Amino acid sequence: MIHMHNVSKIYENGAVALQNVDIDIEKGEFVFIVGASGAGKSTFVKMLLREVLPTQGSLVVNGRNVLEMAATEVPYLRRGLGVIFQDYRLLTEKTVYENIAFAMQVIEAPRREMQKCVNNVLDVVGLKDKYKCFPSQLSGGEQQRVAIARAIVNHPQIVIADEPTGNLDPDTSWGIMDIFTRINKAGTTIVMATHDKTIVDTMHKRVVAIEDGRIARDEMEGAYGYED
Amino acid sequence: MKRNNWMSFASIGTVAVSLLILGMFLIVVLNLNKMAASLESQVQISVYLQDDLKQKDIDRIEGKIKDFQGIETITYIDKDKALERFKDRLGDQKFLLTALGDTNPLPNAFEVTVQRPDFVKTLSESISQIEGVESAKFGQDVVEHLFDLTRMVRLFGLGIMLVLAGATVFIISNTIRLTVFARRKEIAIMKYVGATDWFIRWPFLLEGMVLGFFGGAIATIILRSSYSAVTARVYDTLTFLPLIPEYPFLNYISLAILVSGTFIGALGSTISLKRFLKV
Repeated sequence: MIHMHNVSKIYENGAVALQNVDIDIEKGEFVFIVGASGAGKSTFVKMLLREVLPTQGSLVVNGRNVLEMAATEVPYLRRGLGVIFQDYRLLTEKTVYENIAFAMQVIEAPRREMQKCVNNVLDVVGLKDKYKCFPSQLSGGEQQRVAIARAIVNHPQIVIADEPTGNLDPDTSWGIMDIFTRINKAGTTIVMATHDKTIVDTMHKRVVAIEDGRIARDEMEGAYGYED
Repeated sequence: MKRNNWMSFASIGTVAVSLLILGMFLIVVLNLNKMAASLESQVQISVYLQDDLKQKDIDRIEGKIKDFQGIETITYIDKDKALERFKDRLGDQKFLLTALGDTNPLPNAFEVTVQRPDFVKTLSESISQIEGVESAKFGQDVVEHLFDLTRMVRLFGLGIMLVLAGATVFIISNTIRLTVFARRKEIAIMKYVGATDWFIRWPFLLEGMVLGFFGGAIATIILRSSYSAVTARVYDTLTFLPLIPEYPFLNYISLAILVSGTFIGALGSTISLKRFLKV
């Protein structure tokens, strides 16, 4: 699914974000990316989305060569990726239903499929009865569930989550992780950057630790490994 | 679009004002151009004849002048008629001519108009070579100054209009940037879920074009009514000023402003979107 070889990223101001990173993530894996703030987690995530380009190395995501891809191909790369942020990034003037349907509209999905697909994902995230609400009427956890629904409504092969539980209390966070687990069991690859020690230590999934732009550890069934 | 009513109004207003100024300049320049052209066309050559010519010599000279290419009209003014005109022109001061007694110092002459103003110089030189012609004059200094002036009006007008068009694109791209900025979150999400650039661009493009069109429409309405009022006033008081008649002139101006408003709107929104599409 994701094949990163000898990838480095040096920003224009000379800051080194990633150095000689090698990693392969296969279909159906659940991977935590951990590390201190500024270690390079965000750059890693942005690279998968081709929001930033590697300075060197090779990167293939979903069978597409990210470095050699034309700008017009980027939207098609992103249609295979569902992305979730710490701050939800919902459109405040749209309802829950509209926020999710929006993701289908902008890729010009057939209209008749829309209602069915949106209802399905609302079921997955457990918000069926709140489809008419506006984001401001929802709790943080509920807003993040809307964001997850929006990320998966187009059936991406990979879900990329950048600190999805960063703004949530522990109970709510577990609700979110429960949803990720279910999505993963259905065959979707999950890459999640996080700071949440408890979650990483409890779930026993693959853990990739990034320190100073390098991969410091890469363990199957790993642990967070840092003190909070 | 409905949530950005206020900004849309602001944009339309700005577009309207810019295009109004642009349109005013266009009208002024075109009218100056027309005035210059009509002044140019009034330039004529005065051909003064030697004093003791017989009628058949005069006919011969007229024939020769008519044979030149580029002659528009030729009118014979004999010396009596010339004196008559001179008296008219002197008006209250025609008593000055009493000093002349019965003598008439003015020569017989032809007044020649030409098809194109730039023919004047060469034609008057050729005409002065004809036997029996004393001299051929066309007020050289005045004509050449006039040519310089009209050339300057045209160049200056074109320059000003280009600058104004550029400034209008800039203003519109800035006002549309406000609308784009207000929706940057929406655009970012669209980019993340895989919308193509054209899918994101076309509503803004359409909005820019609509704003440009409506701004142009307002400018057109104001220009049409004020031009009608100005021409009516000018026809009443300054009848000699050759203004371009309202129709179909105003229709061409309106069309030009609507088309350039729409085009400038599209250009402006394309420019302002460029930065926000880089996610």
